[in-house]
Amino acid sequence: MSYYFTVLSPTDVPLFNIAFGTSKSGGDGIARFRFPDTAQYMNQFIIHSSLDVVEEAQWMNGNMYLKHIDTYPPASAYISAFLTPSGARFLLLHQPPQLPTNASSATTGSSSLLGSSFSGSAGSSSRASASSVAANPTSPQTEEAVRQFMTEVYENYVKTVMSPFYRQGMEIKSSVFRSKVTAAGRKWL
Amino acid sequence: MTSPGDAAPVKPPPSFSPGVPRVASKTRYPNQRRDSSPSLDADLGDSRLRSSPTPPLSATTSDLPIRSASPRPQSFRSSTPQLARSSLGSPVEGRFEGSEEIRSLIIRSFSPVVGVCASADTDELVRQKGFAGGFWELIRPFGENIPGKIVIRDSVGASRGWEDFGVRFVDLAGKTPTPNDSSAGRSSSLAQVEDVLDKQLGSTDDPLGGSLRPKDFLSFPTTSPLYKVFLRQLLSISSATPHETFRHPVASIIAISSRNTAPLETLRQLYADTNNGNKKVPDWVHPEYLRYYVLVHDEDRDDIAESTKLYDQMKRHFGLHCHLLRLRSNQCVVTDDDSAQVPECEWQSPAERLSGRIEPLVDLDTNGLLYLFESDVMAIKAFVRELVAQSVIPYMENRVAVWNDQVASRRRGISGRFMSMSRRWAGFGSGSRSSLTAGGASGNYDLSHGYYKADTPEAVLRKMADFAFMLRDWKLSASTYELLRSDYANDKAWRYHAGAYEMCAVSMLLNPSAIGTKMKLDGVDQMFDTACYSYLTRCSDAPNALRCLTLAMELLKSRGGSAVESAARWAMRAMDLGLVGPIGQGLFSERVSACYAARAPVSGMKWGSRHRKAGMWSVFAADAWLRLGKPSLASASLEEAERLYADVLDADGSFPMPEMQTFIDNLRHAVKVEYLEARGLDTRDETTTAEALGTEETSEKLDRRRNRKSLIANPLDLGGLGPAQGPRDNDNAANDDFERA
Amino acid sequence: MTQPQPPRHAAMLSISNGGSSLAAAADKQQPPQHLHTQSQSSQGLRVPSNRKTIYDRHLNRSRNAELSRASFAFLFAEMVTYAQRRVTGIQDLEKRLNEQGYPLGLRLLDLLFYRTMSSSTSSSLSSSSTSSSPPNRPLRILPLLHLIHGPLWRLLFNRPADALEHSVSPETPNEYMITDNDPLVNTYISVPKEMNMLNCAAFVAGIIEGVCDGCGFEAKVTAHNQPTEMWPGRTIFLLRFGESVMEREKVLERAGVK
Repeated sequence: MSYYFTVLSPTDVPLFNIAFGTSKSGGDGIARFRFPDTAQYMNQFIIHSSLDVVEEAQWMNGNMYLKHIDTYPPASAYISAFLTPSGARFLLLHQPPQLPTNASSATTGSSSLLGSSFSGSAGSSSRASASSVAANPTSPQTEEAVRQFMTEVYENYVKTVMSPFYRQGMEIKSSVFRSKVTAAGRKWL
Repeated sequence: MTSPGDAAPVKPPPSFSPGVPRVASKTRYPNQRRDSSPSLDADLGDSRLRSSPTPPLSATTSDLPIRSASPRPQSFRSSTPQLARSSLGSPVEGRFEGSEEIRSLIIRSFSPVVGVCASADTDELVRQKGFAGGFWELIRPFGENIPGKIVIRDSVGASRGWEDFGVRFVDLAGKTPTPNDSSAGRSSSLAQVEDVLDKQLGSTDDPLGGSLRPKDFLSFPTTSPLYKVFLRQLLSISSATPHETFRHPVASIIAISSRNTAPLETLRQLYADTNNGNKKVPDWVHPEYLRYYVLVHDEDRDDIAESTKLYDQMKRHFGLHCHLLRLRSNQCVVTDDDSAQVPECEWQSPAERLSGRIEPLVDLDTNGLLYLFESDVMAIKAFVRELVAQSVIPYMENRVAVWNDQVASRRRGISGRFMSMSRRWAGFGSGSRSSLTAGGASGNYDLSHGYYKADTPEAVLRKMADFAFMLRDWKLSASTYELLRSDYANDKAWRYHAGAYEMCAVSMLLNPSAIGTKMKLDGVDQMFDTACYSYLTRCSDAPNALRCLTLAMELLKSRGGSAVESAARWAMRAMDLGLVGPIGQGLFSERVSACYAARAPVSGMKWGSRHRKAGMWSVFAADAWLRLGKPSLASASLEEAERLYADVLDADGSFPMPEMQTFIDNLRHAVKVEYLEARGLDTRDETTTAEALGTEETSEKLDRRRNRKSLIANPLDLGGLGPAQGPRDNDNAANDDFERA
Repeated sequence: MTQPQPPRHAAMLSISNGGSSLAAAADKQQPPQHLHTQSQSSQGLRVPSNRKTIYDRHLNRSRNAELSRASFAFLFAEMVTYAQRRVTGIQDLEKRLNEQGYPLGLRLLDLLFYRTMSSSTSSSLSSSSTSSSPPNRPLRILPLLHLIHGPLWRLLFNRPADALEHSVSPETPNEYMITDNDPLVNTYISVPKEMNMLNCAAFVAGIIEGVCDGCGFEAKVTAHNQPTEMWPGRTIFLLRFGESVMEREKVLERAGVK
């Protein structure tokens, strides 16, 4: 599974971008999208186009986490959305790997290796649910994992926003924030 | 671009207006441009950090983003002729018309087929007039649109007039490209479609800038003419096949001329030919169909009194289905007083198009076109109308009623269900036997040949459903197809199975009263899915699979509302399955865009539309066109994209996402370069217009920025202290130490 | 962010170089009332020996902490003084105060939701959280007003606002009023006679406006003096929602969104 995570301001300006791959089931945390490397703009196009759906869902659903809201079938890209009350949107594009062999080559040994190299906060319970995350992007387990991820990012986002040197609509450049998001991705996705 | 569609008066049938709820169109109609109303969210959308008002590149290219809400100066339009496709005239009107127009096109593609079987002397007479193909070629174009209203009664007795009814004349003698080409030809027919499109694109260097463009503008701004060529071609591929009866003759014209020395004998001989001669229909076509006898009278050479006498005789022998057609045998030329150009055929199969027998792209002054005397045209029109209104339609109505009574109602009733049940159970026991012996107890499906004989209930029901469909009684046809689906599945008659699912879904979508609730639409989606799977995976029938997906897309699109999302999905599916070639990819990308664009925002609100998606697909289409080396098409797509994006982007038309912006800038640049290369560099003056427009946009932007104060005039927005403040503190100038916001 | 942190923290004394620390943020952004800031601000002065950034600190840590009223009053007085420099009149002054409050409102919104969310999941002691399930973003005006009247006021002033009213005039259905009988920000401020129209609670109005705007409800919020016998400092916050908001209300009403 490959992920592209974006924080957008209420005016659709991207504040933060990160692409990463799954670290579960032996993943190495590197994003491998289905587009060729020259076509990485596709992620932004897909994310941007899903804002149509976000805008609609935004007023029909008061939850902060809107779950899986949109799909881009040609690349089987799934979009999940999380809205902060102040109008920023967290959009996560997730794309199952093209070759099923990638996912099936998972060995539990390597995943535990990754788990240990990472700070111990990634509980063993999350690892159990994670295997199904990679398998099916619309399963309830995936929804829950994405929700956990979003919530964790939200916490860090609030901390960023609280800074007097941060204004709404400003790009988030903090490397700590980035590493926190990466860690959250590793932990949940 | 050929204008076969434009030659025939293609306007949405007025009979659509009363009674038929046009819900989909109506809801979309008034809100098309609501986004321009001032709203907080729009204001929010404006206040952003990006300070450069216009990307430098787009300022110099002529295809600046055009805010659809802002009044567009006409001069700009005229100064960029090659870029203008989508936005002249009222886009709302156009979109509305476009969807009805496509619908009508689809309906007309399923017209009844009338065979033509003319005696040698008749063909000879017509050849004298310049029609090499004989009588069939003469009357063929006139069948495609019957003048005036055709009134059809449906199964419950309600009658309804249709303006756009037509029939398809085919030559029973087999000179038509009635495709004997079976498997090999079928698989390549999609390639033929692609070839036709290619030819079309190649024939004029600028298909949009050509002579057709103005026409296109006036009638349907959002459907590209090329796409309509594609659609027409796709729907014309299908030839007579066992699994559906749309191409089976409903009636046959048997024609002799007044020159014939033994008229009655000839008529009998021709009749016999259609029954068991070389014009005999195959086993899977129902052999009973209407015969219509025509006497062609030569006005220039023969005596009308003689002919009238013969005609009376004919009527005595053959009953009421007779007509006396009075034609002049002299050839008509343009310079004749009452000459009229023969209309072009709208429905030609791809093979015909490619063979180029009729070359629709020749200029007006060449002599490739045929002319007829006004009197002949009148006579043929009257003849065709009488044929259809008084013979074909009543005949079909009658057949539907009879079959409905005799076959369908029995199946629908309790006993019918019971029968089919028991049949199914019996199937378990005799499954192996049925595969060997056709017409065994378990089914009438002939596995070895792959068809039902024409007189089996399954075939008759299908024919009845198709008749009802062609008579536009979609309620009846839908229920009949539904009845058939399980039968076909039990017999593993997969092509039949796919056809029944496909047409059931199509009927449901065409039936105006069966307004799709969410549940129903899901059901329809399911049916298309099954049909597509059966066609493609079980039968490897790519042309039908593509037809199925295209119909799904177009009809769902015309439903509007949430159905357009599935419509777009089907179009994507067609592209994903590789059913369309490179040109098709471009067309389908445009179509996906059109589907999303058809989604109307929630009344008064800015959400609910799919402009970003539509814009994205237009950009993809532009990319596809550019890769095909069609900069003019790419430029049109790009302009459409900008029109669509205008509602969601900031007034300066810049994208918030940097990679998107880069991609689009590059695309614009490439289109511009290629376009200028293709055309010579004579379009420099557009730049000034574009710049004029650019300043207008900028000024608009300034007064739209109001809310979200924290986002504007922000001294810290470059992440540092101080230096960012310099250039932008227009209203803070007095108090530099005051931290605004 | 990590690299510049330790020196900043070490050197910090004034607001201006608060780094990205929440402590500093709280210093400046949450002056109203004895908030959770006190403990934090003292922490912000300590050198983070373990190189822990603000991201490693829990956001709920200071939720029950209180701030000295005197230091808040002093800070707010400074803010008013600061805003008063080179203003053209009372309206201008109020506008500036409003603008100072606005970004605070945007931030409080996120913090408020975060705290409600985490308190509902961790089910801690908290008395302030009204709902136990994950909170919903307000979609309609009324939930928004309740959010302001209740949780927001409690977060800022430790008590709900005193009244919430809807304009009775049919011409102004977009006007709502939130009343505070004794606004904390005005407690230690006595306005000179010639400026008797001034209400320094314009700062709070700015906060409210930020909250409304953040939630997607375009609004103009102003503070007005409405003294009574009992409450001489009674202040009414007048919320005027924009046309687009009212239009959306109607659409959402039809759609059955609560």
